[in-house]
Amino acid sequence: MYHLRLIGSFAKISAQNEMAYRANFWISLLNSALNLVTGILGVWVLFEQIETLNGWDLPATLAILGVYLSVGALRGLFISPSLDTLTGMDGEVWTGKFDFTLLKPVDVQFQASFRHWHPLALIDLALGLGVLYLAVSQMGSSFTAGSLLSFAVALAIAMTLLYAILLVFAGLVFWSPGFLFTWVFDGIFQMARYPVGIYPTWLQWLLTWLVPIGIITTVPAEAFTGNLNLSMLVGSGLFALVAVICASLVFRLGVRRYASASS
Amino acid sequence: MVEKQIEVRKLTKTFKVPVRAEGFAASLKSLVQRKYQEVEAVREISFDIEAGEVVGFIGPNGAGKTTSLKILSGLLHPSSGDVRVLGFKPWEREPAYLSQISMVLGNKSQLLWDIPPMDTFRVLAEIYRVPEKEFNLILDELIDLLDMKALLTKPVRNMSLGERMKCELVAGLLYRPRVMFLDEPTLGLDVSMQGRLRRFLTDYNQRSGVTMMLTSHYMADVTALCPRVILIHRGELLYDGELAGLASKLAPFKLVRLALEVDSPKPELPPEAEIVEQENGRLTLRVARAEAPKLTAHLLNTLPVADLSVEDPPIEAVIDQIYQDGEVSA
Repeated sequence: MYHLRLIGSFAKISAQNEMAYRANFWISLLNSALNLVTGILGVWVLFEQIETLNGWDLPATLAILGVYLSVGALRGLFISPSLDTLTGMDGEVWTGKFDFTLLKPVDVQFQASFRHWHPLALIDLALGLGVLYLAVSQMGSSFTAGSLLSFAVALAIAMTLLYAILLVFAGLVFWSPGFLFTWVFDGIFQMARYPVGIYPTWLQWLLTWLVPIGIITTVPAEAFTGNLNLSMLVGSGLFALVAVICASLVFRLGVRRYASASS
Repeated sequence: MVEKQIEVRKLTKTFKVPVRAEGFAASLKSLVQRKYQEVEAVREISFDIEAGEVVGFIGPNGAGKTTSLKILSGLLHPSSGDVRVLGFKPWEREPAYLSQISMVLGNKSQLLWDIPPMDTFRVLAEIYRVPEKEFNLILDELIDLLDMKALLTKPVRNMSLGERMKCELVAGLLYRPRVMFLDEPTLGLDVSMQGRLRRFLTDYNQRSGVTMMLTSHYMADVTALCPRVILIHRGELLYDGELAGLASKLAPFKLVRLALEVDSPKPELPPEAEIVEQENGRLTLRVARAEAPKLTAHLLNTLPVADLSVEDPPIEAVIDQIYQDGEVSA
């Protein structure tokens, strides 16, 4: 209950902080719209030329895009705003402002993960869900309540996995305080816009098990389109659990290395 | 018996720092083979601090003050030695410990930049589980002491350095910590604001009985706030005791001030008296502490003295000499 109340306070104060700049709202809206238009345009151009893409038709590919946008939005809502404050040359680890996080009587990983919120990412989330709705309307009657449930579970797994990856990247900052490790991930994450099945086998393997962005978007999209089997859902759930435990260990190991910036 | 709140025994902290020769080739080489050097920031220092004490932790840049404070507050792990603050090992960072200590850093801010400080205070109250009623009471008291009601609704980015520091102090005291670490709290403030903050800290210490450990490069902070000082230099503890005793213990010289009668000829001084200042027949001499009585008698016998006094050197001069030389010589 204490932690939920804290999340509420963090979200509220972040919203207040964001409202200090009106222009940010309009720029964020424009950015979201651009993201949406380029995504849909890419898929539309592709399916003007072909019927299916390695077994994925237009509604299924739209579902992937919808998941990609929704997952990206959830990431932008709190995971990235919180973890990104640690990294970079003006990040808290480099400047030593991380001292204040360590001095608080609250778990460090919890604070690092939930402190900053970007409420305007809710616009992205609405757009992502809009694309998913579009995909459902294209699919017709094949969308069932079961699909919705397994989609919700798969999305939760995807978010856990995404969080684990970003936590590891953020944790690496304690080994190299000025480096923006999350940029590396951003580059790879772009590949999650499309079904992982369209990539060569070696890359599919890489994107499923090493940097598992395949699981992050493809698995929820498969659940959405009713093509996901239970073993894959359970397997990716276990994988996400192991990943988040390992990420937490890396992060905590990193915190022990923190030497604080010199006075 | 007064409770010991801070106990430090043979505390040592060693950092491994990369060393690199100058030039492009050395930079390139360091990409593959990096060399490190061990630097002892703090070396076997020991001291105790009792509840309610205000202790000045002084020393030149790089002496190990901030490192020590960071170990005491739980930000750094010690390399060896033992530390207990309120009975806790600080580096284990137990929530029960962290909710009883506070650290105010003069060169860093924990306030959110774009919104008024009141919003940050409310989040802090939530973090430290301060009930609403108590929060309002504590806040009212601090606002009153710091005379800062008008600041509560002003965005932090529009504040002056002094105003911001007032808010930092409120942020650090909202949950009534029992031990407070202040690292250069008056850094960069104008003389008047420094004075106001000093008065606040003295008042607050007397009202609440909070234990304070303070580092500052402004001797005025130390003389105004700290009956006791701990002086460290190059990681080693050089002095721990009353501020007043610092000069007599560490400065083995005294200052002899004498005024000569008008139209006196140029005086001939013994070689053991070093002239520090000379102006219109007034002389300030530096003499070895042990030599002071003999030399004073000699001066009175041989010179046309109108006035003479023997004093300990000002604290700033002693500190300055220690900072420059690491030791004080006559």
